[in-house]
Amino acid sequence: MIWRIGIFLWIAVTMTVALLFAPLVPVLHETTRVLYFHIPAAWVTVVALGWSMLQSALYLWKRDLKYDDHAAAAAELGLIFCVAATVSGSLWAKAMWGSYWNWDPRETSIFFILLLYGAYLALRASIEGDEKRARLSAVYSLVAFVAVPPLMFIVPRIYSTLHPDPIINPQGKIDMDPLIRECFFSMLIGFTFLFAWLQKLRVRVARLERRFAAEV
Amino acid sequence: MLKVWAILMKECRSEWRTRYGLNAAILFAVTSLTAVTFAAGRIPDRPDILAALLWLTLLFAALSSMSHAFVREMEGRTMLLLRLVASPTEIAVGKLCFNLLFLVVVEAVTIPLFLLLTGAPSVRWSAFLGILGLGTVSLAASSTLVGAVIAQTRSRGALFAGVSLPLLLPVLAAGVAGTLAQWEGSEIAPYVKLLTAYAVALLGMSLLLYDHLWED
Repeated sequence: MIWRIGIFLWIAVTMTVALLFAPLVPVLHETTRVLYFHIPAAWVTVVALGWSMLQSALYLWKRDLKYDDHAAAAAELGLIFCVAATVSGSLWAKAMWGSYWNWDPRETSIFFILLLYGAYLALRASIEGDEKRARLSAVYSLVAFVAVPPLMFIVPRIYSTLHPDPIINPQGKIDMDPLIRECFFSMLIGFTFLFAWLQKLRVRVARLERRFAAEV
Repeated sequence: MLKVWAILMKECRSEWRTRYGLNAAILFAVTSLTAVTFAAGRIPDRPDILAALLWLTLLFAALSSMSHAFVREMEGRTMLLLRLVASPTEIAVGKLCFNLLFLVVVEAVTIPLFLLLTGAPSVRWSAFLGILGLGTVSLAASSTLVGAVIAQTRSRGALFAGVSLPLLLPVLAAGVAGTLAQWEGSEIAPYVKLLTAYAVALLGMSLLLYDHLWED
């Protein structure tokens, strides 16, 4: 309960400060504000998918279904945050580039990641038996994660992209107005805790579902 | 090593007996080639479209028949027997070699036909074959692993393409871009690097995971 209220207040206060008081970045103008939502969502996507992969590896090692619950929950949440990042990015693209979807390398790679984890969840749904589902989806999850670093970090750097990190931040170091930077990192922290809380909740639901299925 | 060889031989022999997979893949490739050339005509001046069509034809020809390496064992109920004589890794590596060989045969038929029918400009062979080879390795590696997973699900064949494709999209993207670059006479090194890294990562991950594919 404390967690829930804490996360809510943290995000609400940061959002208010970010939207009302933080200055705008010159090139981005009014669209600067998407930064406080879009990048944390993309960040949580990577964290969630990394967590899912880690839990999958742990499952294959320890063979305890609780790791599989974590892997599945993190993949579901990662997919949701990925959709959030994609939609907010697409709205921003409409405002800045004039079209919702243009197959910019960034858009392409996030779309691949959506497909990858959509396939993971489809695969889970089609395997019978808890152990078998856990084992085979862990195998797929680990292979799928091979594609994530090239998609998230390499492809957008090989192909020329219009995505603003090279525009705002050409030297590769964080060079923002202090208030923007504080709001931005505060949102990153808020989103990370939001993910952690949702993850805990989802894992608990999965555990209860299994217990319920065992009793019926 | 000996067992891997034995499995490869067994695969070749049982494929040769029916030629079911090979016929299906080559027929598929030739049919889609005909459809492509019928729809687009000879387009020697559009290497961008040619590169995309080439990879799409190869990918779909492969996906249409490569899942059956494992599905066949499940349907023939020979999987258990196979596992009595060899370890999961040996079985999977044997199947991987077979899949590679299978793809090479399909490509040997499809690519000359493709170049002939579409009137493609002359290729730089070393660059062209290099990119093709690296793409083929990734394609075989992912098909082997996903094929083994899919064979144990409820839907078997149906999910194969849906689950493989997201894994192969980076290969497809880099393959298309690299093939285009070799036609346009520009630098192919970044694509070769990306394809090599991806193939190595996929193969390495597969070798680590093969042992977890089956279990009782």
